[in-house]
Amino acid sequence: MAELIGSITILVGAVFLFSAGLGMLRMPDAFTRIQAGTKASTLGNTLVLVGIAFFHPDWGLKLLIIAYFVLMTNPISSHALARAANAILHPAQLPMADASRADRKRSEA
Amino acid sequence: MRRGAAIVLIAFLGVIFATIAVNYSQRSSLPELAAAYVDLVPRELGAPNVITGILLTYRAFDTLGEVAVLFMVAAGIGLLLGAGGKERGEMQAGVRRSLKETPSTEIVQNGAEILVPLIAIFAAYIVMHGHLGPGGGFQGGAVMASCVLLLLLAKPDYRIKLAHLSFIESLAGLLIVVVGIAGIILAGGFLDNRVLPVGEFGTFFSAGAIPVLSVLLGVKVGCELSVIIARFSA
Repeated sequence: MAELIGSITILVGAVFLFSAGLGMLRMPDAFTRIQAGTKASTLGNTLVLVGIAFFHPDWGLKLLIIAYFVLMTNPISSHALARAANAILHPAQLPMADASRADRKRSEA
Repeated sequence: MRRGAAIVLIAFLGVIFATIAVNYSQRSSLPELAAAYVDLVPRELGAPNVITGILLTYRAFDTLGEVAVLFMVAAGIGLLLGAGGKERGEMQAGVRRSLKETPSTEIVQNGAEILVPLIAIFAAYIVMHGHLGPGGGFQGGAVMASCVLLLLLAKPDYRIKLAHLSFIESLAGLLIVVVGIAGIILAGGFLDNRVLPVGEFGTFFSAGAIPVLSVLLGVKVGCELSVIIARFSA
């Protein structure tokens, strides 16, 4: 039973990771791609780790450390990336989707 | 026309990969050479990790050469980035100005403070357990350098003392050669790991000189990669 739950959790995590990959390919500009990559891959990673914990309960502590590491690094790195993209002011250097441009105008106003 | 050519090329590649996949059959036994190593490494060298045993004893001379290649890369990058002239000086000034105007945020700085010790411990673990499990000097050194990279991202005005790093790196390289020559005198040949007692199989202090070489390699690779990263930041 535990193994079935673990397998399903890993599968759900894989679906989230797949959606992260799809988002990286299909999203129109840097900001939306960062969003897809970070959020979906953080959740997907964590779910995969939880699923592995069902299979190997004795790996719990190691998996917890990995999950902690992912939960720390993913938001920090995406924050830094988004900030770096936002610092590029010239539109030719940073192609933006219309929605992102509208958002940026609103935040500047 | 181009599209047609691309489709033909993809179909061609598809046929190649399909034939490989169809004809693939799992080996039921190890090839002769691999079987010999799998038998020899735990018995002769006392290292459970066969790959590290090969890399740091039977093929240690190769590994020494690889580290030398990495050293050449670091030196070459230093040469290329050092000679820039006026244009490069202006660019650096511009980068420094933009760093002053937009320093890294509190999130990145605090995150780095938490993560740098964690990554450093992990690097040390990888380096020291090279003879027992996956890992070793090269991998641990690379993780160590990523630690330096994170530090430089969080605190861009942090200046790494390149002279110290170069000294430590040279010292580590020298010690590797010293261990190798000790192998000629005390054991079977250059970089033979049995200059130190092989010890109990699978324990932390075992496998002769392999952990020592692994640590030295880790220090050397970590310093080399850190120098490369620091040169790009300076």
